Amino acid sequence: MTSAEDRPAVVEMRQIKKNFGAVQALRGVDLTLKKNEVLGLVGDNAAGKSTLMKVLSGAYIPDEGSILIEGEPTSFSSPMDARRQGIEMVYQDYALANNLDVASNVFLGREAVRTAIGPISIMDNRFMEQESKALLNRLKIDITSVRLKVERLSGGQRQAVAIARATAFDAKVIIMDEPTAALSVAAIAKVLDLVSKLKDQGASIILISHRLEDIYQVSDRLIVLRQGRKVSDTPVEGDIHQFRERVVAYMVGARNDFAEGGIS
Amino acid sequence: MTETTTGELPVKRTSSGLIPGNIREYGMYVALFAIMAVFAFTTHGIFISSRNIVNLVNQTGYIAVLAVGMTLVIVIRHIDLSVGYLSGFLGAIAAISMVSWHFPVYAAIPLVLGLGVLAGLLTGFLVAQLKIPAFVATLAGWLGYRGALQLSTRATGTIIIPDETFNAIGNGFIPDPIPHAGFLPNMHLMTLIVGVLGIVIFIVSEILGRRALRDYPSERSPMLRWILKLMLITALVAAVTWILAGYQGLSWTAVVVLIVMLVYQFITSRTVLGRHIYAVGGNPEAAELSGISVKRITYAVFGSMGLLSALSGILFAARLRSATTTAGQLFELDAIAAAFVGGVSAAGGVGKVAGSLIGAFVMTSLSSGMNLMGLDISYQYIVRASVLALAVIFDVATRNRE
Repeated sequence: MTSAEDRPAVVEMRQIKKNFGAVQALRGVDLTLKKNEVLGLVGDNAAGKSTLMKVLSGAYIPDEGSILIEGEPTSFSSPMDARRQGIEMVYQDYALANNLDVASNVFLGREAVRTAIGPISIMDNRFMEQESKALLNRLKIDITSVRLKVERLSGGQRQAVAIARATAFDAKVIIMDEPTAALSVAAIAKVLDLVSKLKDQGASIILISHRLEDIYQVSDRLIVLRQGRKVSDTPVEGDIHQFRERVVAYMVGARNDFAEGGIS
Repeated sequence: MTETTTGELPVKRTSSGLIPGNIREYGMYVALFAIMAVFAFTTHGIFISSRNIVNLVNQTGYIAVLAVGMTLVIVIRHIDLSVGYLSGFLGAIAAISMVSWHFPVYAAIPLVLGLGVLAGLLTGFLVAQLKIPAFVATLAGWLGYRGALQLSTRATGTIIIPDETFNAIGNGFIPDPIPHAGFLPNMHLMTLIVGVLGIVIFIVSEILGRRALRDYPSERSPMLRWILKLMLITALVAAVTWILAGYQGLSWTAVVVLIVMLVYQFITSRTVLGRHIYAVGGNPEAAELSGISVKRITYAVFGSMGLLSALSGILFAARLRSATTTAGQLFELDAIAAAFVGGVSAAGGVGKVAGSLIGAFVMTSLSSGMNLMGLDISYQYIVRASVLALAVIFDVATRNRE
């Protein structure tokens, strides 16, 4: 990954601070995501990883700090605003409408319209079905029909639909919040496959996970947060056991020798 | 990863083969058919006489339009208890506007419909903006509109409506401009044409719908069951059409209900608004995250409920040719029952307006049939309670299977 240094940054978060009353959830965190990079984000409970991602996805407005997308300073007023600027979040509980079919969920909130008569917009269902089908094929997601209701899918398939949905509209960044947390071993393998496939197709991804082996398998780089601070920012490399030991040491605070870019 | 672990994740099956997965959808048609057959037998044919069927259709009308609106309210996980007395109150306003304020009928009707929308938006404001549980907000509405209805009819008691154009909405029949020329002399030809047209449109749309599912065999119901469904509905529509045509033809109430049903069917199945209503019902948080304004959908659904409450009030007042102090009493419960019998799920996100229309027919058929049999009103309530309970048990049972 020598070329990673030359790639432009898609997202830069600088000195992000966020307080909830007296609790300092984020105490000045920097995060850079390069183009076509998979960045792992780990940390113990309350380390601030969810808060940081909620800031990036528009759910929280930071108290201090700045966000740059492709070099341009920006801010988000809502999750929808962030989405419009190319930041897609895949939520841990999938955030799908189980009573609707796959195609409807892929296009939820962004339905293709055939004709609009005043406030009434008539949908182009055929187009949405074909596009969804093409999307599933492109990502090699194994679902027999885009007309299946989500409630009839397995957990892994639901996660795949949620991820496919995030990629359907030329996202600049895809944030995945614990995508493997609730899945069986076989389904986890499929989801990680999907992450790799997205990277191959050029996506830039931030992956939150407490499963270090998942991060190890698909990420290029890893950031460790602890008590609202970044305590490690390191390429993912080397032997998995050493990697795990090192990361856990940073997570629990046994090591605290962070210097940008390196582990000695 | 080996081949065995990559090719799996099979689709969960909802149907176990014998019991169709979408029995919820067929169940009510079968129920309606069975109820009609039983009453036809027990009343020695009086139940399916032209006169009674016409009465049945017109009695169902003012409940059916409420049930259509209630369907969407329940789909987005709310309830509206205020619609009965709102309907009664707005019917009284219609009467007063024509009798006391001398409004012409074509001004009175838009006025009342507009007031209905306003009342619905007020409920929407309480529920969406102030986050008051719909049950409580609309219980307040129930009390308030009941008081308003009593106030508005206190001076005169029953307000007689003299306008025949208005009353025709609840009592009149569509004209029959087609010359008979000896062909089917005693039949209302216009009604027959409308009925045949309806059946043709229904069958064509079903065939097109099935063709559209060509690539999705898992979503198709078996051919035999589909044909049975087609035959059952066609027979039902044909029988009702024939009976109506043999009497005075299609009533204006039936026309109003049909138009409401078609408009709502279209909105719920083909438009972005409809898609968003069901999305909010299925997962409000996900809908909000997808950029759908749950608030706006809530306003829209309660606004439509208000509009349909006004329409129901107009239909009822026109049918009685008057506004009465007790108009609208228990309509809300009939509408809610009709929706549940028609396959709407209390869990939200599930239910079709066509189902609720059938549900409304089931509930009024029960009342009408039991009245004809001379069954004591106390028992009637108990029977209707049992049917409602059965419908909800059925809903929960088929849901748990999934």
